[in-house]
Amino acid sequence: MLSIASIPEEENMAQFLEQIINGLVLGGIYALIAVGYTMVYGIIQLINFAHGEIFMFGAYIALMLITVFGIPFWIALPLSMVLCAILGVLMDLVAYRPLRNAPRLSALITAIGMSLALQNLARMIWSARPRQFPAEILPTVFHGQNAISLPGGAALPYRDVFIILLALILMIALNRLIHLTKIGKAMRACAQNQVAANLMGIKTNRVIAITFAIGSALGAIAGIMVGLSESVTPTMGYYKGVAAFAAAVLGGIGNVTGAMLGGLIIGVAEVFGAGYISSGYRLAIAYILMIAVIVIRPSGLLGKSTGDRA
Amino acid sequence: MKNKLTPKNIILGLFVCFLPLLMYGIDAISLFLSGYDIYLGLPSGDYMLRIIVRAYLYMLLAIGLNIVCGFTGQLDLGYVGFYLIGGYTAGLLMARLGMTYWIALPLAIVNGALWGLLRGAPTLRLTGDYFAIVTFGFAELLFRIVKNEQWLIGGPNGLVRDIPPPAIFGMVFNQNWHNYYHILILLTLVIFITYRLQHSRVGRAWVAIREDEQAAESMGIDVSRYKALAFTVSAAIGALGGAFVAQFQVNISAPFFEFWESIFILCMVVLGGMGSIRGAMIGAAILGSLGEILRPGFIIPYQFGNARYLIFGIILILLMRFRPGGLTLKKA
Repeated sequence: MLSIASIPEEENMAQFLEQIINGLVLGGIYALIAVGYTMVYGIIQLINFAHGEIFMFGAYIALMLITVFGIPFWIALPLSMVLCAILGVLMDLVAYRPLRNAPRLSALITAIGMSLALQNLARMIWSARPRQFPAEILPTVFHGQNAISLPGGAALPYRDVFIILLALILMIALNRLIHLTKIGKAMRACAQNQVAANLMGIKTNRVIAITFAIGSALGAIAGIMVGLSESVTPTMGYYKGVAAFAAAVLGGIGNVTGAMLGGLIIGVAEVFGAGYISSGYRLAIAYILMIAVIVIRPSGLLGKSTGDRA
Repeated sequence: MKNKLTPKNIILGLFVCFLPLLMYGIDAISLFLSGYDIYLGLPSGDYMLRIIVRAYLYMLLAIGLNIVCGFTGQLDLGYVGFYLIGGYTAGLLMARLGMTYWIALPLAIVNGALWGLLRGAPTLRLTGDYFAIVTFGFAELLFRIVKNEQWLIGGPNGLVRDIPPPAIFGMVFNQNWHNYYHILILLTLVIFITYRLQHSRVGRAWVAIREDEQAAESMGIDVSRYKALAFTVSAAIGALGGAFVAQFQVNISAPFFEFWESIFILCMVVLGGMGSIRGAMIGAAILGSLGEILRPGFIIPYQFGNARYLIFGIILILLMRFRPGGLTLKKA
């Protein structure tokens, strides 16, 4: 990828570096959302379209906690995660659980309906106006001018460092959770064969609820990150959600490590596409990658080929 | 369902044929009564006709979508893409190249069908979620293209202005009642074709594919061919709707063809019951008019914006939970 760096001028070099940073920030955010899609898909084979909306609610809840209730940022962040986890579990309970044994098309249509309802609910409550986290309330490290200067005149804001590091830490933690803990083992068992897992005494409904909770909590953090680096709008769940879904597909849906990798690839590709091709096609790049992957290699970069599913 | 000339059907037919007359009649009565200071407060006949034309248009689109969603059982989330192709093909040919509607309409249909086939080719192998996602991506890409490529479209945000109305020998069809009969003829044609297809070898093959693709294949049904046919017919109907809407709206722009429009049409098909032409029409009639009533500023105050989409979302969830077969069908 770095072979593009044959651009001679120093300014271009700085721009290039900044694009990489932006790409990594966006990629980290996408990876966090994509994990939510991929975990749910891995267990109940449902594209949870409404996951993007949970992510959007995470941003709005944190924004409300900070601006309306005056709660400090560092407390609002985990609080918003918890509230979103509850929202995710409720969504599963109300909409998806009754359809566990229904045709998959029904569950998919329910998910679309859920997404539509939540997105427009947010629009009714908070209006379509883009909002930002007010700078004076945020911790001072997040102010734009606080940045590490890189060679070539590029700037690396602490805010971006925070986002990238937090995303990385959460990913590693999730990976460890899935591979080392008892609940992680139960999740993997459910993903392989739900009936058999049930017979082995795993409470599958509880495992699914926990999956929704974890995915939603990670989504909430991603929403707050978008709020920090861009702005909060009712449609962000839809636009970012689709790109993140593309990331999940790219990495191989159902595969958590793949979702992380896919998120980074889509994030960097999107930023570079917007910077060097055309900003109008920002999201189109994610869609093109997604379609190409589905048509050429439906199992994704890291997914096992199942044959049946595609 | 045998078509019979029962009195009920004849009355229904007459009602549909003379609806504009009825609307203008109500207009005339309102006007007459207002002379005596009696105000009925009814919306004008032209306004009502426009709503009815829209409802018919949605019926046409719902029938088209129903071919892929209902008959072959694939979830198409990008139906609006064909609607867009039809709209822009007809709109650009007429507004920028000065072509007459009677040539632009068939060209739009052919273009839509071609794209349906083109999109069908890579998605033939896909089922379920993956098919849904590719169709979604396809429609979104088309939407971005018309939004961004100003050199092609001619205006910002996909705006095509001043699309001329159809005309024969200097007779210009730009009145609302013209549009009413125009869409009525197109709709009748589409219902006829779809109905004949449904009750033919092709329709039975489609349903067989929906019920069990592998079983259908082993019974000797050429699954790829019949699926491709379904995609093509469905796309052609979508493009037909688009071509109509281009001359009906006079100006079209990208927001007309946003993703949620696909979902709106899907809602209609699901509400009426997937796999039934009558169901698609009933769903379109209900949601088409409901959509108009729930438009911002009509009953719901402006500050709530598009609350109707909230209601559509809840309708989808409740239907799937309690009546997955839709309103017209028995429990599946």
